[in-house]
Amino acid sequence: MSAVTAIRRHGSAWAMLAPVLVVVAVFVAYPLIGAVATSLTRDSGLGDARGVGLANYGELAGDPVFWRATANTVGLTVLLVPLVLGSGLGIALLLRRLTRGRALLQAVFLAPYVVSGVVVALLGRTVFDENVGVVNRALRGVGLDGVPWQSSPTAAGLSVLVVLVWARSGLAVVVYLAALADAPRGQLEAAELDGAGPWARLWHVLLPHLRPTTVFLAVVVVVETFRTFDVVYVMTGGGPQHATELLVTYSYAQGFDARAQGYGTAIGLVVLAVVGLGTALWWRVQARTEDTAVVER
Amino acid sequence: MGSDTAASGHPRPVGVSRRWALGTLATGAVASLAGCAAPVWQGFGFDAVRPAADDELLVTLWGTAAERRAFTALADGFRARTGVAVRLQAVPFSRRGTTVDTGIRAGAPPDVFRVTYNDVGLYRDAGVLAPLPDAAALRPAFAEQFWAAVSDPTGAAYAVPHHTDTTMLLVDTAAAQAAGLGPLPADPEGAWDWDRFVDACRRLAALRPGRAATAVNWQSDGAYRWLNWVDQADGRLLTPTLDGALRPPDAGLRAALDLTRRLFAEGLVPRSTSTSGGVTTDELFTAGTVATAFVANFSLGDLEGAPAWTAVPLPRAARASADLGGNALAATAGPRTEQAHAFLRWCVTPENMAAFCSAASALPTRTDVPAAALRYPTAPDAMARYVAQAATVRRPLVEQVTVPRAAAVTAELGDGLERAFLGDPATPTADLAEAIAGSVDRAVRR
Repeated sequence: MSAVTAIRRHGSAWAMLAPVLVVVAVFVAYPLIGAVATSLTRDSGLGDARGVGLANYGELAGDPVFWRATANTVGLTVLLVPLVLGSGLGIALLLRRLTRGRALLQAVFLAPYVVSGVVVALLGRTVFDENVGVVNRALRGVGLDGVPWQSSPTAAGLSVLVVLVWARSGLAVVVYLAALADAPRGQLEAAELDGAGPWARLWHVLLPHLRPTTVFLAVVVVVETFRTFDVVYVMTGGGPQHATELLVTYSYAQGFDARAQGYGTAIGLVVLAVVGLGTALWWRVQARTEDTAVVER
Repeated sequence: MGSDTAASGHPRPVGVSRRWALGTLATGAVASLAGCAAPVWQGFGFDAVRPAADDELLVTLWGTAAERRAFTALADGFRARTGVAVRLQAVPFSRRGTTVDTGIRAGAPPDVFRVTYNDVGLYRDAGVLAPLPDAAALRPAFAEQFWAAVSDPTGAAYAVPHHTDTTMLLVDTAAAQAAGLGPLPADPEGAWDWDRFVDACRRLAALRPGRAATAVNWQSDGAYRWLNWVDQADGRLLTPTLDGALRPPDAGLRAALDLTRRLFAEGLVPRSTSTSGGVTTDELFTAGTVATAFVANFSLGDLEGAPAWTAVPLPRAARASADLGGNALAATAGPRTEQAHAFLRWCVTPENMAAFCSAASALPTRTDVPAAALRYPTAPDAMARYVAQAATVRRPLVEQVTVPRAAAVTAELGDGLERAFLGDPATPTADLAEAIAGSVDRAVRR
């Protein structure tokens, strides 16, 4: 194939792709290469950065706060995914029966997902503040002790978890509702005629039907959990004693509070690698799910 | 859009060909990129984004509405006097660093910027500040501890100490009376010693069961304020040469850690007021959660609804000592450095410092600002006490909180203090002090 023919054949495709490639190169590839370069330096954000090779990554391996943040991030993900998906599915199943007011309730549940995370976190702080929060005022009002929402690691983690479940469930509700609209009515009716109860119909008919949606939502929640910053930053600041520290908040604290931008960037790249691996895994699972669905049909 | 039929028989769109669409797309992309070319390329020699004219000083600052008005008055006065226009660029406090740093990295720094004393060392170390040519002439007018905050060990000054802020102990007057605390001290010489302070806290806690007595303002990157206690006990965190942490920690640091741990162990402060706590002490005081609180002068305007209070000097041990707050004004090296330095000098004349401090509820750093010139609209009597408290800010403490790695030191200190305050009460203080010194030492030497 001559060069002219090749250009004729592929030129249009490259021309169509060019704007996107330029945007990706400028706003993704260039900053990413810069981030990798920064992670190999000691950099205060000012003046000349000093190259240190892989020293930042070596320090990460021996940094107990990094491992604490990693464990917290993974633990939060493990808890958050079933809670968000379970609450989202439960609410969606209740809402699908409604004929009036469903759109309004959908909007209500989706609201915390679409408003600023800082607003959600401030609301969470208002509810869970240890000294002047709504919950503790109510508890003290009936003669009980307040909960140490900011000074106890367990209570602090619980408050963050509750707010994140509230904030993230809205998306699951809306997506599950859309998927339920396409539920196999014939199978559901046949199962009912065969004497299957509501739980059996849910377990054997609806959940298999919702599997691709569940995989999609699980990956979205995993990725979002790894990127969670605002809620933790506002509600607990990562404390007490790093009990609610996540990889992203630790990256910020190192990069901007302690002005160790090379180290902070190294943490950020670890998060990127983990999220990238998770996404790749999602593609594999998704592809397998679709293959299975095709075979089942 | 209409269509006709090609030779193949398939309908073919007319009016917009693929070539035309591609050309439009390409043109649009180029135009879009051209539109954002200035900010993208400003670090590569294009100065098109500079918002100020060449003969205009760009001053980056943050502040309350009152502070911004005070800066506007300074800028107007400078223009009237010198003919040099000043463009004020106000940014939120949280974005001060990124705004200035981005400008510096992009090769378009502001001519003058407001900078916390803790950050002066960082910028000085990075070589972006223009040293004051007439530092020797200016120096005698300022209190030595504030001048030290903007100087390097050789004596060169890289900014002017525009104003300071510091902390006092606000006491609920009625609660103090009910707790039988007696006459409250008014000046640093008569301040409560540590034992008396703890005793006062215990009495107040006993008076209000279930509620803590006090709250200390070491949250929100304010862990360096804990060093007041160390300095009061004649201790240090860093070595005299500031090249690392003192190891093993001295008796003063251990005493300060022991005392402040006791505040948590005895429930005299809310456990949520550790260094990572997000609550501010003035909020707790206003809400009545605590009967006393360590509050900085700039927060006095936020005490609406608080019980009647008295500003009491910080507790003292071997000596009185207070934290260094406030801000300097620094000039960057560049084509307008001379005018920038003239603006700095203008901002710190006795008259202008008095006017700024009065308007912004700040404290002067010059020693020749007469008390009568400070007309504070909010709590003027208390502000007079804050002025006296600021005189107890000490140079050895100032030198430790303005090292180039001050941000990392504060972060490590905050972590170590939180472990001490909220961790296992059985852990010996000496071990916790050594852990703090170790992590701070690594942060300084990194």
